[in-house]
Amino acid sequence: MSPTRTLLALLVLVLAACQAPAPSDSPAELRPVTLLLGYRPDVQFAPFYVAQREGYFADAGLEVTIEHRQAPDVQRLVGAGEAEFGVADATDVMIGRTSGIPIRYVSTLYQSFPVALIGAVEDVPGDPAGLAGMTIGTPGRFGSSWHALLAMLEAGGLTEEDVTIREYPQFNQVDGLSNGDVELVTGFRNNEPLRLEARGTEVGLLTVDVVAPLPGPGVIVGDELLADDPALVSAFARAVAEAQAAVIADPDLGFTVAEQEVPTIAEDPEVARAVLDATVELWAGDGFAGGAIDAELWESGYETLQRLGFIDGSVPVEEMIDPGVIGTGAG
Amino acid sequence: MRRIGAAIASLAAFLVLWKVATVIGGYPEFILPAPEQVAAEGANVIGSGVLWTHTATTLLEVVLGFSAGATAAVLTGIALGKSVLVERVLSPYIVAAQAIPILALAPLLHIWFGGGLLARVVICALIVFFPIAIATMVGIRSADPLLDEMLRSLGARPAQRTRLLEIPSALPVIFGGLRVGVTLAVIGAIVAEWTGATVGLGVLINIANQGLFNTSLMFVALATLAAIGLVFYGLVVSVERRLVSR
Repeated sequence: MSPTRTLLALLVLVLAACQAPAPSDSPAELRPVTLLLGYRPDVQFAPFYVAQREGYFADAGLEVTIEHRQAPDVQRLVGAGEAEFGVADATDVMIGRTSGIPIRYVSTLYQSFPVALIGAVEDVPGDPAGLAGMTIGTPGRFGSSWHALLAMLEAGGLTEEDVTIREYPQFNQVDGLSNGDVELVTGFRNNEPLRLEARGTEVGLLTVDVVAPLPGPGVIVGDELLADDPALVSAFARAVAEAQAAVIADPDLGFTVAEQEVPTIAEDPEVARAVLDATVELWAGDGFAGGAIDAELWESGYETLQRLGFIDGSVPVEEMIDPGVIGTGAG
Repeated sequence: MRRIGAAIASLAAFLVLWKVATVIGGYPEFILPAPEQVAAEGANVIGSGVLWTHTATTLLEVVLGFSAGATAAVLTGIALGKSVLVERVLSPYIVAAQAIPILALAPLLHIWFGGGLLARVVICALIVFFPIAIATMVGIRSADPLLDEMLRSLGARPAQRTRLLEIPSALPVIFGGLRVGVTLAVIGAIVAEWTGATVGLGVLINIANQGLFNTSLMFVALATLAAIGLVFYGLVVSVERRLVSR
């Protein structure tokens, strides 16, 4: 082929390429948003991984980036508008909101408050009054574990002075229990008890739900986004609730998806699976409510935190939650 | 007097810049509190006695940790400086220990040493140890060889040569290490408290940051730590001025 013909052929190809129709199956434009989770990647976040990988977020018109952060940073970043959504403890939301962070709790993830006092079955008292004189390990004087511990002590007519507290800021309080440094530890009852049982300890629990009910962790959003785009917030909360319902109905799906997102599952898949199954029980509670907010539970939890001095009552509970976002529930 | 004036002017400029940053940036208090918000929170916790409770514990840890770490480091540095054999045997361990992040080791030290004040002092002392030991070793070896030869010719024993020549010669370098070490002692105390403590400025930072979401209170604790570091640094410099002839 002569150079002239070659050039002509190339020109025809280029023109043909320019006239080629655009692909007709391009997806609808998704709204990019960021979700902050206040813990390292974990099987307990399976609904979010499922929502992302199985298309629940996409069906809601969302392209969600999941980031794992320190728990207190989640509230600040969401409040400052640096991220659209976060997951936070309800008790932390009460304190953060009272401290001036403009966030709201818009849907419930845990129907039951997951924190419990955990120990060898023979060491766990039958009621909170029996905690007097015991040595208790906890990550620190912050977060849902600390709030639950003080609520339990109060329910038993005790104060912090009646027990010995040892702090484990690296969240290794289970090691302290195994070493015999403490008699009880605070922890999520879908996690620490299973890890202790894996070490051969016959575990007993004293659950805060029984003595001093508190609302559990849920989805938070900044005031500004909630005011500007309530439909977006509702779409996100509903997608999460639908994915959570899917995991409750089919934990195998949640575990399979979580395995792809959580590298640590490979280290001990049996414990991870047990954690997921226990977590599903907590999500379901007495019946999965599709993310709906229990306003009465919030009122009683608010009063408990006020009595314990964590909040001063200057911000009413109505300004901390928005039950209308998820309504009577989704999924 | 001029030095104090310069320090006050520097502090005032810092506060003005800080205030300007909060105004221009429009940051809410939970992201970057303004100086007056931090000052109000400071007055609050000073008045209630909360700040002193935490500060006293951290001060104790810094003093004990620095004293233990510096004493061990100076003695080890002298041994390293005087004996090539000791240096060859110990140096790999000292350098390796320094290369291990104390944050990774601290939770284990906390468990090994019973989780109380002793554990926190050990963690603090370990952080302090390396710069002072190395400075002492370098200082000991910097003694004038002619003076050393003279002492030997006069029949001075090794201990006498160390006391009369090597340590005085090493003092400026040792104090360089002590200056670094004393600021690290403050960091060490906080790292130690973060591995497990019920009181101390590190605990107060955690409570303010993670428990109360009170950024102003966190800044009060940080400012107190900075003040402790400056005071101890000044004390070391003051002792250095008395002991080291210029």
